[in-house]
Amino acid sequence: MHNAFQLIAKYGVHILFVVLEIICFNLIIRYNPSQRNIFLNSSNVYASRIQNVRAQFDQYLSLKEVNDSLMRQNANLIENLIVIEYATKSIPNADSLYLAYDLIPTTICRNDIFKRNNHITLCSGNREGIEAGMGVIESTAGIVGIVNNVTENFAQVISILNPQAKISCSIKNRNTHGTLVWRNRDPLHMTLEDVPKHHKIVKGDTIITSGYSTIFPRGILVGTIEDYTIESGSNSYSVSVKLFNDLTKLQYAYVVKNRFSQEQISLESSERNE
Amino acid sequence: MNNSIITTNIVRIIVLLLAQVWIFNSMSFNIGVNIDVHFIIYPLAILALPVRVPTALVLIIAFFIGLFIDVFDNSLGVHAGASVLMAYIRNLSFAIVEPFDGYNVNDVPNIKRFGFAWFISYISINLFIHILAYFSFEVFTYIYILDILLNTITSFFVSLIVIFLIQFIFTTKY
Repeated sequence: MHNAFQLIAKYGVHILFVVLEIICFNLIIRYNPSQRNIFLNSSNVYASRIQNVRAQFDQYLSLKEVNDSLMRQNANLIENLIVIEYATKSIPNADSLYLAYDLIPTTICRNDIFKRNNHITLCSGNREGIEAGMGVIESTAGIVGIVNNVTENFAQVISILNPQAKISCSIKNRNTHGTLVWRNRDPLHMTLEDVPKHHKIVKGDTIITSGYSTIFPRGILVGTIEDYTIESGSNSYSVSVKLFNDLTKLQYAYVVKNRFSQEQISLESSERNE
Repeated sequence: MNNSIITTNIVRIIVLLLAQVWIFNSMSFNIGVNIDVHFIIYPLAILALPVRVPTALVLIIAFFIGLFIDVFDNSLGVHAGASVLMAYIRNLSFAIVEPFDGYNVNDVPNIKRFGFAWFISYISINLFIHILAYFSFEVFTYIYILDILLNTITSFFVSLIVIFLIQFIFTTKY
């Protein structure tokens, strides 16, 4: 006990400093939504990185079994190929009854534009069938964001004008893909990154969503290429994209419900865990 | 501690806080798209506390001052965190910029007692750390490190100028 008092007498100021800073960080994370999102995201990033290392190690251990099973699958596929060669016409068409995407119309309750981390609040929520992780579009030309949090009557959307929103996009008719991010704090322009520089692109090309994730269907028009540069030492273009829609005037939007997203996500996550 | 010193400090803290909330918070402006310039002058309330005030008390005062600003700025914890950090650094900065004849029991950090050179280095060190911490906590990610630095440097200079104007206009007499 005596030692404890001595410790406090000696380092009391430093302990007080640390305690007060911890309180401040608690307040920041609890009461400021954008900082909380950043904190949660980055802690998830670190957790998943550790998981990744472990998964890689496990994969290495099971390489031989994987190899065997791949050999068996290969054999199977080759057998099927041979069969299909003789029966091409018997492959069934995709069933048009199973439309993958459902649109939920909604109105905008609140729309941030001028912050660094912008969010949008929709006036409909769980009751209308909105769930976290769904995409939000304005029409066939113009995307809005990704649903982040849902309550019974409201849904919070990470606007595309938020550096945390990264959207996989393609350039129409060119089969090249990139990631659309918001870097310049201008609500009418975004940046398409990670487009390999050996692809040919032209000013005025149309950017569409790629449909690689479960969030947006393929082919929603996003914007046109206004300008592009290659930074020295970089392997990819940095493309300035002029958006088709003006988010400052946003009033109505559609939430895209992918009927098969659960299926795809659970499949992908199970693949990642093994 | 002398009663008049306590009163002076309390009045100074209240006046600076009200000035920050009512006047200087609404004066922030943008340069281009990326640079937000804020006038952050309330750290003067913490920096002008007498030298002999115990650091623990300074930390607590700084915490509540920051919290007060946060309530009006709708950013709970951001200003408080920066203020507490600066109050902690303040104690160390006394050792860094110590004048030749050391500190007396009754010293108050101002231009009259320690001279211009001492005062400008003392204010600069603490104010820069405060504003850097403020923008770091506000942005909360290292992706925008360049923006944080630009914001910090511009806000630092405008705030420093305003703080010196305040010092020259209202030189407190003890």
